[in-house]
Amino acid sequence: MPRLTIDGREIEVPAGTTVIQAAEKLGIFIPRYCYHPGLSIAGNCRICLVEVEKFPKLQIACNMPVADGMVVHTKSENAEDGRRAVLEFLLANHPLDCPVCDQSGECDLQNFYMNFGLYDPRFREQKNKKKKAVELGPHVMLDQERCILCSRCVRFTDEITKTGEFGIFNRGDRAELGLYPGEVLDNPYATNVVDICPVGALTERDFRFKARVWYLSSAPTVCNGCSQGCNIDLHFLPDRPHLNDGARVVRVKPRYNAEVNEWWLCDEGRFGFGWVDRGRLGAVRGPKTNGAEATWETALAAISEAISGASDGARVGVIASTQLTCEELFLVREIFRKSLGARVTASVPERPGSSDDFLVKADKTPNTRGATLLGLMGSDDAEAIVNDALAGELDVLWIFEHDAIDLFGEEKARKLPEKLRLLVFSGTNESATADLAHWVLPTAAYVEKDGTFVNHHGRLQRVGPAFPPFGDSREDWRVLMDLARMLDLPLEWRGPREVFRALAEAEAPFGDLTYDKIGSDGVAIAPAEEAAAP
Amino acid sequence: MKLEELDGRAAEIIARYEYPKAAMLPLLWLVQENQGWISPEAETWVGKTLGVARSHVREVVTFYNMYHTAPVGRRELRVCTSLPCLLRGSGEVMRRIRDELGIEPGETTADGAVTLTEVECLCACEMSPMGQLDEAFTGPLDDGAMDTLLRTAREAPETSTPLPEPEPYISTDGPILSTRFKNVEGTWFDEYVADGGYRAAEKALKTMTPEEVIQEVTNANLRGLGGAGFPTGRKWSFVPKNSEKPVFLVANADEGEPGTFKDRYLMERDPHALIEGMIISAFAIGSHKGYVYIRGEYFRSAKRLQRAIDEAHAKGWLGKDVQGTGFDLDIVIHRGAGAYICGEETALLTSIEGGKGFPKLKPPFPAISGLFRCPTIVNNVESLCCVPFILRNGAERFAAIGTETQGGTRLFCVSGHVVRPGVYEASVSVTLRSLIEDAAGGVRNGKKLKAVIPGGISAKVLTADQIDVAMDFNALMEAGSMAGSGGVIVMDETTCMVEALDSASRFFADESCGQCSPCREGTGWIHRILKRVGAGNGRLEELDDLLAIAGDMEGKTICVFADAAAWPVQSYITKFRDEFEDFIRSGRAIGKREADACPA
Repeated sequence: MPRLTIDGREIEVPAGTTVIQAAEKLGIFIPRYCYHPGLSIAGNCRICLVEVEKFPKLQIACNMPVADGMVVHTKSENAEDGRRAVLEFLLANHPLDCPVCDQSGECDLQNFYMNFGLYDPRFREQKNKKKKAVELGPHVMLDQERCILCSRCVRFTDEITKTGEFGIFNRGDRAELGLYPGEVLDNPYATNVVDICPVGALTERDFRFKARVWYLSSAPTVCNGCSQGCNIDLHFLPDRPHLNDGARVVRVKPRYNAEVNEWWLCDEGRFGFGWVDRGRLGAVRGPKTNGAEATWETALAAISEAISGASDGARVGVIASTQLTCEELFLVREIFRKSLGARVTASVPERPGSSDDFLVKADKTPNTRGATLLGLMGSDDAEAIVNDALAGELDVLWIFEHDAIDLFGEEKARKLPEKLRLLVFSGTNESATADLAHWVLPTAAYVEKDGTFVNHHGRLQRVGPAFPPFGDSREDWRVLMDLARMLDLPLEWRGPREVFRALAEAEAPFGDLTYDKIGSDGVAIAPAEEAAAP
Repeated sequence: MKLEELDGRAAEIIARYEYPKAAMLPLLWLVQENQGWISPEAETWVGKTLGVARSHVREVVTFYNMYHTAPVGRRELRVCTSLPCLLRGSGEVMRRIRDELGIEPGETTADGAVTLTEVECLCACEMSPMGQLDEAFTGPLDDGAMDTLLRTAREAPETSTPLPEPEPYISTDGPILSTRFKNVEGTWFDEYVADGGYRAAEKALKTMTPEEVIQEVTNANLRGLGGAGFPTGRKWSFVPKNSEKPVFLVANADEGEPGTFKDRYLMERDPHALIEGMIISAFAIGSHKGYVYIRGEYFRSAKRLQRAIDEAHAKGWLGKDVQGTGFDLDIVIHRGAGAYICGEETALLTSIEGGKGFPKLKPPFPAISGLFRCPTIVNNVESLCCVPFILRNGAERFAAIGTETQGGTRLFCVSGHVVRPGVYEASVSVTLRSLIEDAAGGVRNGKKLKAVIPGGISAKVLTADQIDVAMDFNALMEAGSMAGSGGVIVMDETTCMVEALDSASRFFADESCGQCSPCREGTGWIHRILKRVGAGNGRLEELDDLLAIAGDMEGKTICVFADAAAWPVQSYITKFRDEFEDFIRSGRAIGKREADACPA
């Protein structure tokens, strides 16, 4: 393996590594615009110029293969002057409309100017005029004047989606980014171009003028839009309800995970977060007794009483959801199936959604594989439980998350409350099923709680709370543990972290894992090829 | 006509190439020849035919400036206003054409007769000031020639009389490259063979190994005559032996450096010399497929070379089993479409591959991974044309004609303020003074010499007292300039250096491919400053800005275009600083009659 020196520090890297990659391994950041590790090398922006001994000219680090004995300087006067020059060229025709640019605050023209520029600008000419605020499609807005023509987006649509929408037309400083006239950028991964655009040329229409990025908080989590489990960062406004129509979630950005989604995210997932702030269940609803408002305490008391009152555990049914975390599914299993002998399943007759051979999976829930590992798939099924309930064989039915009308049809669903002593619905959002239930328990969105999901490929991944549960909603795990207490089934765990440890001890695939060991990248715990049971 | 009717022709064109996408430029030409312009429907058809996204077809259409993105007149009149033509009065020519046609560049006359296009150098500076009506070059455009041109331009192309053939001075007495230039209509197969043609190829193929050929060319001290001067034999030796991939030989006939007009004469008057040179070179590097990349404006060169290629095929010098030797070689002509940058060897390759003329990142170098990612050698037409002479007469003979570091002769192109602009073959040891004074008859109208660009517009300018320099690569480099493409642009004492630099900077701003940020932004920036200075709105301190911006562009880009754009700025301002300062101080402006006092 070649051994080279960068800024006086030695490193050995595999042959074929480029200088920019080797530097990164040493923690030395070389600025870049056109370079993106997920795309081919374009070498056009020239900002990554470094000095390589024995080379008369500065070299671009993104295309420079390492060689044994190579000596690289990224901070020499020569290299710094080269970067300064390149930056001044890049900014020459840039409109500098930062005050009205959504990229401001996360713009690499701003960042690199502060870190590598700081020159006195000499450009006094009329700047090139190009098109501004061009709607490329439902989600992406183009500003040709801000574009530095790095071609990342062109390469993304050529190499990743292979849809080829983008082109750079004309030449010289008349060159401009655009789509073929009349075309629309609406491929299923289109908005990734906003993420990879290093400047404010491509921005998100949904985010347009919503908030300055420095007001945003960020929390790492996993997308629950399908069983792929793409890693994401949730960007939210914790304390500025006057912005974004009061919604906390502002936008979602893909978070790099080599094993799951690399740098990318589908638009379906990206724009599938409206439910976190809209149509939420914010308060417990139940039969009014003595004019008192329903509370968590009255609800859980009534529910535990009904469960205890059932003549037989088998007259209690639970239709769990693969939207629940592994910890919650484990609690459902331990409390209802193990302790009470209730009928429990997470299998529901859900129609598969659209899918492709890249990231989008047909299973639109995040944790089917987790439910499978916990034995909650296929062992019973929701349809049978509902039919038995309608036949009068159940006293209590608890439906987690699912819309019974959607799954079982209007006719069956509407009969459920009459046939059951108690129909409980717990979920995050309003639904027709919620209106049928005797008790409605508002639960936390997964971005409001701790836990784990196992994706389609058998990878165990952490989710964590970005912000507290909405309104009076509570995390499912908390609800389940409270219920267990009221049922006199004391559980010694204090929270998801401990539930997980118990789960891991009980279920071999989870082995000796802990939250710390799972880390931010997740761990493969089951073979990738084994398809999750439907 | 319907585009689908072109499907058959398209299939034939695609079959010439290794990949369908490479047929991009020829298919666009096909469309334009049939429909007059490239419509959106045509872009869709080309994209579908080649399996390329429409966006990328449009990228190509808008990159090359010979493709029309809107309907044009029955005829197109291109008028050159680059430096060599500017020196000989293209400003006045353009003014008269605009006045008489009543349109601005980019517009079409109301009757749809003619579209006027202002173009950068067409590399016909021997006839400057010049223009091109459809395919025909015409010049020098004195009053009489202008009358004829303007009359013809309005005539229907089918029935109009051809423009008179320009008659500039062209060397015909050799010793190496111009011996058959007396054949104005072209030297065809029989005449070429009668003059000793194809004997060198026969010798190479039948009696020599590729290594021996490379050695012979190395011994001859032949250096690349496109501009860089890299030793040709050494370049050939970089091709990996026993490459599993096919090896390509590409002749660079994208003659584009302002002030250069030699390759056109080689292709039009002695095309078999190029073919023979390519046969020998291909044999030396183990190539069985050659491309000739001819600039789009050289319509006649492409036609004549194609005729010669067809002859060579018929006579068994191309195709399978050349002359029974078992060696195969096919040559395909690929026409450019109006982009100077395609003369840069890797941009040329990208252009053959069907893309915008973007230079490729190095490493890898073309000899390892070039055209279609296969080992590729790109040689200039003139270099290739020297090869038959070397094999026929021996490396020693060729080397002896030149200097210690460079063998042979060059076709020097002398333009600008000389008595007799033209092509002059001379040993590379000839001095710049001798070329100007002896060959080209000295500075015209009895004026004094002010400055000379010795190797095309990219070369640094030399002052009148620097012309006692030999014209070989090393000598000119030592003199602080470069031999480049051999284009000698002569400027007399009446030349306004601000105007000259403004013109040069417009050329680079127009022709930058726009790939690398320093070049894309720098060329435009410099041109805008110079335009402002030229309009009388400059400031003294901006001369230093110009020098600094030029310095910032140097050595930071994929190819050397940015450097070439920087050198004129640096050399003009440094060597003629007083004139620039005086221009700014006086508040004069380019092109105003009262500014005739420029230079002071």
